[in-house]
Amino acid sequence: MADRVIEVRGLTKIYEDIRAVDGIDFEVERGQIFSLLGPNGAGKTTTVEILEGLRDPTAGEARVLGEDVRTAYRRIRERVGVLPQDFEPFDRLRPREAVSYWARLFDRSTDRAEISEILETVGLTSRADTYAMNLSGGEKRRLGIAMALIGQAELVFLDEPTTGLDPGARREMWALIRDLQRKARTVVLTTHYLDEAEQLADDVAIMNHGKIVVRGSPGELIRAHGGATTIVLAGAGRPGYEALAARGIHADLRNSDVLVHVVRSNEVRPMLATLASIDVEIDHIYTERATLEDVFLKVVGARMLEGVLAG
Amino acid sequence: MSRVLADVRAFGSQYLRSRVGAFFALAFPVILILLFGSIFSQTGSSQVPLYVQDLDETGMSREFVAALNNTTVIAYRGIPTDADFLGYIADHSINVALRIPEGFEDAILLAQTDPNVRVNLTLAGDETQSTYGIAATVVARVATEFNFVIAGAREVIGVDRESVAQEAFAYIDFFMPGVIGFTVMTTPLFGMTSISAEYRTRRFFKLLASTKLTKAQWLAAKIIFYVVLMFASVALMFVTGIAIFGMKATLTPMAVLFIIAATVEFTSLGMVLGIFVKDAETAAAIANAIGFPMMFLAGTFFPIDAMPPFLQSIARVLPLTFVNEGLRATMVFGNEAAALTNLLVTAVFAAVLFVVPARALSWKSK
Repeated sequence: MADRVIEVRGLTKIYEDIRAVDGIDFEVERGQIFSLLGPNGAGKTTTVEILEGLRDPTAGEARVLGEDVRTAYRRIRERVGVLPQDFEPFDRLRPREAVSYWARLFDRSTDRAEISEILETVGLTSRADTYAMNLSGGEKRRLGIAMALIGQAELVFLDEPTTGLDPGARREMWALIRDLQRKARTVVLTTHYLDEAEQLADDVAIMNHGKIVVRGSPGELIRAHGGATTIVLAGAGRPGYEALAARGIHADLRNSDVLVHVVRSNEVRPMLATLASIDVEIDHIYTERATLEDVFLKVVGARMLEGVLAG
Repeated sequence: MSRVLADVRAFGSQYLRSRVGAFFALAFPVILILLFGSIFSQTGSSQVPLYVQDLDETGMSREFVAALNNTTVIAYRGIPTDADFLGYIADHSINVALRIPEGFEDAILLAQTDPNVRVNLTLAGDETQSTYGIAATVVARVATEFNFVIAGAREVIGVDRESVAQEAFAYIDFFMPGVIGFTVMTTPLFGMTSISAEYRTRRFFKLLASTKLTKAQWLAAKIIFYVVLMFASVALMFVTGIAIFGMKATLTPMAVLFIIAATVEFTSLGMVLGIFVKDAETAAAIANAIGFPMMFLAGTFFPIDAMPPFLQSIARVLPLTFVNEGLRATMVFGNEAAALTNLLVTAVFAAVLFVVPARALSWKSK
């Protein structure tokens, strides 16, 4: 019990006729990065805002750091840090001032060294005295994380921290989130980027229409739903495809590559041996591991691009 | 308390750094005082131009024009006798003009013997202009004096003028309380309504909700900042008034209390309006819709007594009316009893308006 930071049972939020969150259950262990993954409108932000004490649930129970979010939200707020969705800093405060201001709002008095250290952590040292309105998109988000951390939060909620950032800024943000975990903080990360959840999360819950569709570590989910491993015979072409079919091996043709799907990982080596024995001309051979993208496609039945379901 | 002060400091630096806010809070009232002070403080030297078309061109008509000129209120300008009177007024955008008809002198001379003779002067112009009213009064007054002479009568009832104010106050002393009332209303009211809209659309309220700062503390911080800002603004107004116009009105202790109570009142009112506001455009519209009528109806620039009765009854319940009347009572008339009544009403308004948003609004969303 002691290391269970969040416990959610039957959590439901209904707006007029929409069930934004529809009876979900999950728990988050201390020190984990837990990711709520799903398209826009899946109920991720509503769930997180209930856990932050910003909204009351319609039904169900949610405990954060051992306290009930309905009644003890004030005490919870003192111990959690929040980076809201579409975070914007105050335009005419400099990062140094904003972090010091935020510390005061948590009743902490900080000295210059501590502020500098936290700005160093988020990589804003050289921008510490620039008005926030002149920071780049990625710098603004990192300032938001510095503000979320200054209250010495044990638990940090990051609501879509990389949405709208360029690839370089996203990678910097990922490094920063891993760093948070190393500093023994628990992170709840909502995202609609499958690669982000796969790269960062210890535990993933895929949400759609207010429900958790599947839940587990990225590895577990891929093993269970991803269709395991694909062996690629690059350049084998139609002759290769037909040679395999003649031997009763089911394969797919993708351009000039032949793809062989292996369901269980212990079948990969025997299949490679079989394929080696067939006389087909190939450029090279490699394996492809399934990703969360494959898992998502299977369990939700659609692909997701920038938070929007397609096909 | 440390949270409130941190919020005052952060909000204050942002406010002053934005310059637009600082201009309206600090520079704009000073500009108002300079403008109105210059226009009204030297009424003696500024004269109303009166265009006169003298179709009679006799000794008597010239004497009438000379009498008008001697009032020192009127500056005589001629209209050629062959010009079309109304056409000339329109072509030259003249505010007020007088026509002396042909036969003016004959009529006056005849009147000595024939009691039924009458001659009419024509006054034409734009009745909405204050210069029209001044010219009309002066012409009527000179005509009356001529009538006295013709009838051989004399003036029995005269009028001595005395100021009701404590000392010999100038226009600027009467104007100052209005400008203070205007500033303590518009700056916090317009400011808070748009801040509420901005904080909502940019999710700053949600961000603040994740800290230990309560909504009441947030509102208190805004009030503290605006009170300090308003005192800075009033100080600038006084320096301008005293240095340039030799103003004698003083900042009484009661006036200080008024500035505090009114700032609490209008900061909170801005927050109450902000509850209903969804975006910045609506915020500006609502603040203008409430602020501007109140500014004019509450006797800021025109006396309430001069309004039609139904407007007066509206003016009597407007929060700003109590502030304006109270400030005038203490600063100009030294009537502390009247000021106290107005202060109590303002304090009650302020308390109610503070409690409504501080209590009704939790940071929580629906």
